Amino acid sequence: MIACHAIGKSYGHFQVLHDVNLSIAEGECFALFGPNGAGKTTLLNILATLQRPSTGYYEILGMHGLKDKDTIRANLVFLAHGTHLYDELNAKENLAFALALRGHRPTDRDVKQVLDRVAIGAFADMKIRHFSAGMKKRLALAKAMLAKPNVLLLDEPFTALDTAGTEILRAYVRERLSENGTVLLSTHDHDKTRPIASRAGILRQGTLQEVAVEGLKSDDLV
Amino acid sequence: MTSFNVIRWIVWKDFVTELRSRETISSMVFFALIVILIFSFSFSMDQQAAREVIAGIMWVAFAFTGIIGLGKSFSTELQNDCLEALQMVPEAKGAIYLGKVAANFAFMFVVEILLFPMFVILFNLEVVEEISLLLLIFLLATVGLSAIGTLFSALTVQIRAREVMLPILLLPLVVPVMIAAVEATKGALNGDPLALYGQWLELLAVYDVVFTVVSFWMFELVMDS
Repeated sequence: MIACHAIGKSYGHFQVLHDVNLSIAEGECFALFGPNGAGKTTLLNILATLQRPSTGYYEILGMHGLKDKDTIRANLVFLAHGTHLYDELNAKENLAFALALRGHRPTDRDVKQVLDRVAIGAFADMKIRHFSAGMKKRLALAKAMLAKPNVLLLDEPFTALDTAGTEILRAYVRERLSENGTVLLSTHDHDKTRPIASRAGILRQGTLQEVAVEGLKSDDLV
Repeated sequence: MTSFNVIRWIVWKDFVTELRSRETISSMVFFALIVILIFSFSFSMDQQAAREVIAGIMWVAFAFTGIIGLGKSFSTELQNDCLEALQMVPEAKGAIYLGKVAANFAFMFVVEILLFPMFVILFNLEVVEEISLLLLIFLLATVGLSAIGTLFSALTVQIRAREVMLPILLLPLVVPVMIAAVEATKGALNGDPLALYGQWLELLAVYDVVFTVVSFWMFELVMDS
């Protein structure tokens, strides 16, 4: 569960977010649309505990976002613009390192299964400096799959993914939703998002307006 | 137990990354070699004169070399926004700090051990009897440099002019380490009784404990800001 209560964020005199109120229940996927610079990434960074809101507060899984950061972090995965992967480590080592920092120790079988699931199992021992952007995105997704978070934050998740990769991502989102997970994703791609989004909103100049997923047109998103 | 695992994995990641890229240690060694060669060609001196000034030259070389390594410690985390992943670790950030300190200490200490024979050869030093004391001085001073340097490496990593800001902020704070290390090294190279310069070793030990504890607690604030 994610709940934003009048979240505002400003950088100096520039107001990025204005009183954003949003509630996403368990088992719901909320798609956040909006033009570049609308504040989508800022809102996700705040919910991922990477930035503090200037005004307002938020709760994740019933925990106060500014007070229970470590518990929230243990239950949340953020797939951001950056893949959070080390170029000099191979795919298996990147997974082992990222999961170890979260206190998990996946078995070799788990790692193999998840790499096969994102269709990069053949490159498990390759340094990721040789990976394409799409392969790195798949590996970041594999990391999320192993972490099994209750809350999933996705910042433009379809970028760099091909059709097969997009379908793997959507299948994973559906799996999290079926297990009562909560998903918030920011995107510009309405067609790819519609099959998985339960609700949607458009962020314009820092103000959020909820819209119906079905009635959303591409023209609405600019 | 989880904190210990975080420390272990941070050290492992920094070692593996360095072994494969060889960016940090090679640039540190190369820079230090240039400094040593410049000093050795600039001063022509006998062994007695060398013992008087070599400690200062040595620690200038070690400190500036160390700053190169410390600067890279967190700048490598900017690749693919890995710093964000470290900020989101659901553990007390002190474990990340200790892991980084351990890795930075190891890199700096290895470089010092590699470079010391160069000083011995180029400045014609006789150090066989004092070698264990010199190693103790290197160890204590390097712990101090890496303890405070790791904190400032994290503090300056997101600043645009971080390569300039790190030495400007760090060097004034490591003046006690530099003075104590130079005086203790000078005493050991001169073959003085330990009682004459033992207080500098005590100062190094106290500095190490105080700045490791303070930096450990401040690291959480730095990572969250």
